[in-house]
Amino acid sequence: MLSNYIKIAWKVLLRHPFYTFITLFGISLTLTVLMLITSFLDHLIGAHYPETKRDRALYVERIVMSDSSQQSMMSNSMSFKFLTEYAKTLKTAERVTIFSYFNGSNAYVGSQKIKLNITFSDADFWRVSDFKFIEGKPFNEQNIANGDYVAVITDDFKKHYFANSDAPVVGKNVEIENINYKVIGVVKGSPITRPFTHADIYFPYTAPKSNYQNSGMVGNFIAMILAKDASDLKAVQSEFQSNIKKIPLPGKQGGFKYSVLEVRSDPYLENFITTILNGGPGLKNILYGVIGFIVLMLMGLPAINLVNLNVGRILERASEIGVRKAFGAPVKTLMWQFIVENIFITFIGGIIALILTFTLIQIINTSGWIAYADLTINLKVFSISIIVCLIFGLLSGVLPALRMSKLSIIEALKA
Amino acid sequence: MIRHLFKLIWNKKKTHSLLIIEIWASFLVLFGLATLITYNVRNYIEPLGFEYENVWAINLGNNQDTVAISEKVQTIFQRVKGFQEVESISRMSGVYPFSQSNNGRTVKYKNSDVQMSFVAADENLSKTINIPLIAGKWYRNADSVGKYIPVVINRKAETALFENQSAIGKVLKDYDGKAVWVVAGVIDYYKDKAEFMLNKPVMFELLKADQIYDKSLVIRVKPGTDAVFEAKLVKAIAGIAKGWSTEIVYLTDARQKQHNMTLIPVLIFLIICSFLLINVALGLFGILNLSIARRRGEIGLRRAMGATEGSITAQFLGEVWVLATFSLVLGLLFAIQFPLMNVFDIAGGVYITAILIAVVIIFLIVTLCAWYPSRQASRIHPAIALHED
Repeated sequence: MLSNYIKIAWKVLLRHPFYTFITLFGISLTLTVLMLITSFLDHLIGAHYPETKRDRALYVERIVMSDSSQQSMMSNSMSFKFLTEYAKTLKTAERVTIFSYFNGSNAYVGSQKIKLNITFSDADFWRVSDFKFIEGKPFNEQNIANGDYVAVITDDFKKHYFANSDAPVVGKNVEIENINYKVIGVVKGSPITRPFTHADIYFPYTAPKSNYQNSGMVGNFIAMILAKDASDLKAVQSEFQSNIKKIPLPGKQGGFKYSVLEVRSDPYLENFITTILNGGPGLKNILYGVIGFIVLMLMGLPAINLVNLNVGRILERASEIGVRKAFGAPVKTLMWQFIVENIFITFIGGIIALILTFTLIQIINTSGWIAYADLTINLKVFSISIIVCLIFGLLSGVLPALRMSKLSIIEALKA
Repeated sequence: MIRHLFKLIWNKKKTHSLLIIEIWASFLVLFGLATLITYNVRNYIEPLGFEYENVWAINLGNNQDTVAISEKVQTIFQRVKGFQEVESISRMSGVYPFSQSNNGRTVKYKNSDVQMSFVAADENLSKTINIPLIAGKWYRNADSVGKYIPVVINRKAETALFENQSAIGKVLKDYDGKAVWVVAGVIDYYKDKAEFMLNKPVMFELLKADQIYDKSLVIRVKPGTDAVFEAKLVKAIAGIAKGWSTEIVYLTDARQKQHNMTLIPVLIFLIICSFLLINVALGLFGILNLSIARRRGEIGLRRAMGATEGSITAQFLGEVWVLATFSLVLGLLFAIQFPLMNVFDIAGGVYITAILIAVVIIFLIVTLCAWYPSRQASRIHPAIALHED
């Protein structure tokens, strides 16, 4: 039965190549856009190199202090001392790493200027993240205790900085702002879309200019907490919050009197959203509204288009419907036939979209628009697209099928 | 004729409802896109107000060093000024042109209070990045001895605070109502977040040389100066202040970064919208083709009654236009709310322009889609068309 429906659908497709083109264009285009968006979102928030343990990681990015009347507010990253005291001591966590946000700097090779980003981190940074070492090894607690001037660099920086980029560079020096550091390891870099682990050079936090000595609560450090298991996240969060509650209130920080203090430890997605929506719940609603509207338009317009076309074209097949009805086919069967046909067409569109998306992703990855971009069509993205495909097929199939089923036999046969 | 067309459409409103929704939705999408583009283009054509070619910004960080900061900054200032490659130098706060940081203040004068961007800079800034003054003059370092701190504001701020009066010599109050500043000069434009930024009120305050926070240097170098000199500069600064960090930013690079932040979202939106519209256009074409094919009998009859080819084309185009007008009226009910309710604080003119652009484009698309099927319809021979029934 099913194969019969598909055969009919195939014949219908071939009968009017122009209409088939419109239909397939609409479906594949919409799916391509949706798949590209999901793929990019997955690139942003999914667990990918080198933050492969994102599903059991918590991010402590900012301390928010506000006064009693909520009039003024101060939001900042934290000092090394603060994080050591309140985050590093967590007992429920497997590991905690404290590191700085990347900061801009320059290096000079001959008459060339290399713009680069530097990060200061502790030794656990390399255990919480999953960097692939092409050469050498990460710095460890010993290097930090000695205050060694060592650095882990990315392969990209190595290529730019060293003349002979094929030769191993571990043990060689790099000069950044007039200080020489010994290269201890070379890693495959992390894209800038993962701002926590992105940098060109990683220094131990005891290196000069890291400002880990700052005594107050605010500074330029952030932390990543790795739970033993994804189910432990709640426990770690509540332990961290109980640590934060120990800070006496109200207090004073650099001339700012605060009586409310908030330090969140959130999974990546939540942290990401709070960063975008620092403007409170009103902005959140607007943003969700806008996203909802865009998705609705993106899916709705092509869907309406298809429905429209299908409704129009269903009359072409009025005589076929009439004959089938005259021979006793119930409305339900006819509806199923049209829905199956639609889903079949949608799947063809889906396959085209998959090929298109794959090509586009390859182009984006190799173009260098985002260094180290690693967009993929993974299983999750693919299955979402399939579901979208089905919804699409149903959307554009049900309405015409309903209209069609209302045709009376006589009218259908006459047409 | 038009009344007749309306009647034709109204009688078939159920079959046309989907088409109307489709055009309505396309209009809303186009309206959004046109608003975004109009807003940015309007900002772009306003002058930038200063020059950025061959200008570098040097960001200094004292890190853990806390000894004699302001003296060191002044030594660095003199040392950098001494290089023959440097044509002009100015010290300012971290909000140098095209920087990512912002600083705002509330400034009051009598009953008006205005939120302004706030920049602290010394006497050389107007020379270094060439900001022309339209009234008064740029403050001098020697002015710091006065009772009030001298400031320079832009025309936007002048209008916001004083309406039509001249600002020169007026004393401005801070948020708490204390008299703090006196206006020394007025400039025209200063869009420090690059061309796509909205022209906003801005205030330059005379930088106090002995304080330790504002230590960005903006230098204009001779054309053709390259990274060799830059490396020399960094080395010289490191020689004066041990343990300090130095970051040199070319303003041309920083400007590009600001542009990208505006252009990339617009570009993505534009691409998606154009594909959506192509999609809609193709669909519309298909539907019109179908519906005209179904009305061959009617066309044949009209032709037999003496209607010309032109009048048949006009009828079908007219029908589509009426349909588009229906949808646009619905769309306008939504779109007009934006200028009325002043959503997002955008000037009303932007929305009106955007609505006009969207309306014109919708009519263009609809006409293009209807043209070919209408021509086809008009060529139907009455004998053949009537013979079929």
